Amino acid sequence: MKEQNPILQVKDLTVSFNAFAGKVQAVRGVNFDLNKGETLCIVGESGSGKSVTNKAIMGILSKNAVIERGEILYDGMDLTKLTEKQFCQIRGKRIAMVFQDPLSALNPIMKVGKQITETLRIHQNLSHEEARKSAIELMGAVGIPEPEKRFNQYPFQFSGGMRQRIVIVIALACNPEILICDEPTTALDVTIQSKILDLIKTLKKQRDLSVIFITHNMGVVANMADRICVMYAGKIVEFGTSDDIFYHPAHPYTWALLSAMPDSESRERLFSIPGAPPNMLMPPKGDAFAPRNLYALDIDFKEEPPFFRLSDTHYAATWLLHPYAPKVEMPQELRKRIERMIEEDKKYEQQ
Amino acid sequence: MRTFEHAAPEYSSLQKEDFKLHERDDAIHDAKFETKSVGFFKDAMLRFGKNTASIIAFIIICIIAFFSILGPMMNEYGYNDQDLNRANLPARIPGCEKINLLNGSTVLKNRRKDNLTDTEKYPEGCILEITNESVVNGVKMCDVRIDTYIYSGYGDDYFWFGTDYLGRDLWTRVWRGCRISLIIAFAAVLTNVGFGVIYGSIAGYYGGMVDMVMMRIAEIIQAFPNIVVMTLFIMYFGNGLFAIIMALVVRDWVGTATLIRAQFYRFKDSEYVLAARTLGTKDRTLIFRHILPNAIGPIVTRTMIAIPSAIFAESFLAYIGLGIRAPEASLGVLLSHAQTVLLQYPYQTVFPAALISVLMISFNLFGNGLRDAFDPTQRGT
Amino acid sequence: MARYVLQRLLAMLLTLFIIVTVAFLVIRLMPTSIYDDPTISAEVLDMIQAKYHLDRPLIEQYGIFMKNVLFKGDWGISMKIQPNVPVFQVLGGKVPLTLFINVVSLLASIPIGLIFGAIAAIRKNTLTDHGISLFVILFISIPSFIYATLLQYFAGYKFGWFPITYTVSDVAAVKYLSLFLPTLSLALDPMAKVARYMRAELIESLNSEYILLARTKGFTRPKAIFRHAIRNSCIPVLNIIVPMFANVLGGSLVVENIFAIPGMGSLMIKSINANDHYLTIAILLIYSLVSLMTVLIVDLLYAVIDPRVRMGGKKQ
Repeated sequence: MKEQNPILQVKDLTVSFNAFAGKVQAVRGVNFDLNKGETLCIVGESGSGKSVTNKAIMGILSKNAVIERGEILYDGMDLTKLTEKQFCQIRGKRIAMVFQDPLSALNPIMKVGKQITETLRIHQNLSHEEARKSAIELMGAVGIPEPEKRFNQYPFQFSGGMRQRIVIVIALACNPEILICDEPTTALDVTIQSKILDLIKTLKKQRDLSVIFITHNMGVVANMADRICVMYAGKIVEFGTSDDIFYHPAHPYTWALLSAMPDSESRERLFSIPGAPPNMLMPPKGDAFAPRNLYALDIDFKEEPPFFRLSDTHYAATWLLHPYAPKVEMPQELRKRIERMIEEDKKYEQQ
Repeated sequence: MRTFEHAAPEYSSLQKEDFKLHERDDAIHDAKFETKSVGFFKDAMLRFGKNTASIIAFIIICIIAFFSILGPMMNEYGYNDQDLNRANLPARIPGCEKINLLNGSTVLKNRRKDNLTDTEKYPEGCILEITNESVVNGVKMCDVRIDTYIYSGYGDDYFWFGTDYLGRDLWTRVWRGCRISLIIAFAAVLTNVGFGVIYGSIAGYYGGMVDMVMMRIAEIIQAFPNIVVMTLFIMYFGNGLFAIIMALVVRDWVGTATLIRAQFYRFKDSEYVLAARTLGTKDRTLIFRHILPNAIGPIVTRTMIAIPSAIFAESFLAYIGLGIRAPEASLGVLLSHAQTVLLQYPYQTVFPAALISVLMISFNLFGNGLRDAFDPTQRGT
Repeated sequence: MARYVLQRLLAMLLTLFIIVTVAFLVIRLMPTSIYDDPTISAEVLDMIQAKYHLDRPLIEQYGIFMKNVLFKGDWGISMKIQPNVPVFQVLGGKVPLTLFINVVSLLASIPIGLIFGAIAAIRKNTLTDHGISLFVILFISIPSFIYATLLQYFAGYKFGWFPITYTVSDVAAVKYLSLFLPTLSLALDPMAKVARYMRAELIESLNSEYILLARTKGFTRPKAIFRHAIRNSCIPVLNIIVPMFANVLGGSLVVENIFAIPGMGSLMIKSINANDHYLTIAILLIYSLVSLMTVLIVDLLYAVIDPRVRMGGKKQ
């Protein structure tokens, strides 16, 4: 990890919202690096702060949000300190974003062609005709049939999957370095999901993109990720390479997430994590996951765990890794599951 | 990044005995809702209670309603006691002698100054102030502010809002008029909503051919311009109280019916209605117990917002000469009379105009508050 | 599209036919007769009635009336207001004046309302927003005739800035100056309604994802709002503008009366009170025609602005 050169660094990012009832601490000291050419998945349940983190990177936090601390380093700049005008030079041109729901992300009464060329025209000063050509070419590249005809249509004339392709075209129009995907498949049919995921993978390879991929779906993560951050209650609780997280998970929350993932083999009822996420108006003392953790230690309610190093690439924030802690193994059920996954992977590689 | 090795000193005080599995008293379960469940109405009322402007508006409406009922009885003048000798007296309220609008005074312009001492023309004590003195052709002229009551020989009377061209007490007439306007508005709106709900429910619930025919009829009615319908209606049925109320309903109920029909279309195929139907629930029960309660919010809101429109429509009719039959008067009738003498006797306009404005503002604010309370998602529209 | 317009026009003709029929029957069935002047002798009365077919059964009168309308384009003559003048000639001079103050007040109020609504939405929950909202509630609540009265008394009588009533004059400036106050008092209510609606719609648009997407493209917030949110919010606002046009002539009746404008309003009141039946029918017809036409035009405009309607999608 240290050898690689990070293209984007998030350091101790803390974001809170001034809500009616008080201050909501959505993101509480998040650190991660995004390396050139990799896909970093951020996983967590709703409200864990993953979308807020990425909105902070894009500089599109809502008005009542405050970045309390921390910095986002990109190309020698701290994105948290840029003026709106400077940010406009980066958004769309160097960092772009794909939204969750393509239905609401596209302007319903503007032709898709115009929505695509808009980006080209602000950042690259293309003429009308050049922008049109380049847009149609891109539309073809992401697999939209008859791009010339489609160029002059409105979003309501497109299916969900096609709309998401348009959103991807808009994001990629100016050849950005970083692509942030905020649950890009959640709002789509299952059959379309895998096509869009494949498309993002292909585009990433072709264009040497660095991708931040946000999702709550572990199945999607397995498909996409080079490295994975697991977030809970505004903090990263475990991070590592895809293999680290899937084959050697160390944090009880990651265990729970993996157990909750459906797979074709398991016959028993799907595991669900008991309890509800903490109220971020008043985050609990100690480990935020402790109240729902089947393996919670007494110390979890008193002290917040630091990151324990498992390998060069793999860190987890749980007191279970402390030398004083009793030896706790991951649940039996999950161990079997992981063994099955490893076997499947081996078979796959042999073929 | 804070890892354990790096941060070791910070955690030097860790106690070994803390590192044992936490003992729980009971299994972890999803958090229960700890608040009591709040009914739909109670919830709406709680939200309404937080809206200060609407509460004030409600209090003002109550005060106006109180005066509409009891106001006409507060002095000894009847609403139709005519006496031309006391016609067009300005407002005079005890204790307001210093306020020109309320002390029963009038300014007479260009009077001969010499005549002011003549007690035949100017009874004793009626002259309050002399201004604008000048000499025209050798005659001293001036403007004089007089106490109109003493001047006309009614020194002991107090008409709080003044009198009209027939010498009738405006206080009594304004509050009585307000009462009539409110009666017309409430009756019209209740009829409108009642009929609209029934019509819309039938069309929406049965659908198909019934719906088609009923909605075409409604569409044709709505195609008539409102003013045309109201005019024709009153021309035919006359300008009694009932006819005016009906004139306000005859086209407006269509809007309510459309709204209710849409609600039915939204809910009649929902799972819970189908479930009730498979259990053999009767049509009537389905309509009134299962579907209609969903529309209660929009109905209440529409009712409250329709009231100021009805008050406005009634005044509108009064202005074009189709108002309620004399000697009764609604606020609109009073205003349209006052309008004709606006430049001579502005006070006759001031009181009914202020009252109708306050009434309309209050009803609008109250209606907005109710809408926000019943449907928080509609805030601000 | 052409088919749609044709359908709408046919439906409109049908509605107009029904309106004229109902108006005819209602007016002729009224208990008062056209000539209730006791000084006219019975013989003269009979003669007049025979001349205008007033002695025939109602259905026959209706038949004669419709025949004249359909084949000769003859809508009858005024009997009282301007005796023996064809009704549309009587109306001729009055319609433009009424149409003028109504259309001008509406057309002026819509853009102003949109602007103030947009400002309030962008500055939501600031002092500006609260100020605009206060005026909105005042303008919506207080009836137009109160404003008309206030304006007439203060701006006209006390301060003398404008003529108190309508002034007939060959000098256009004088004439239009005297129409300023009535137009203003008619404009306040639609302005406030448009502003209120625009504010709500724009606030919703501002929270939408396509504004976020526009900003991720590299637009500044004001630019994103201008390019994407404003037009999208204007479309639903049309929903409340349509009914305003439907009432385009009715709204000015009272204000015309207050400012003594010799428009349709005063003519209608006079013709009703004078039992000038054919004239009344013609006036009601004009009211209906203008209102139906404007609604049709606005509906077509809707299709121009919103592609979802034009392409046969659903109105939102």
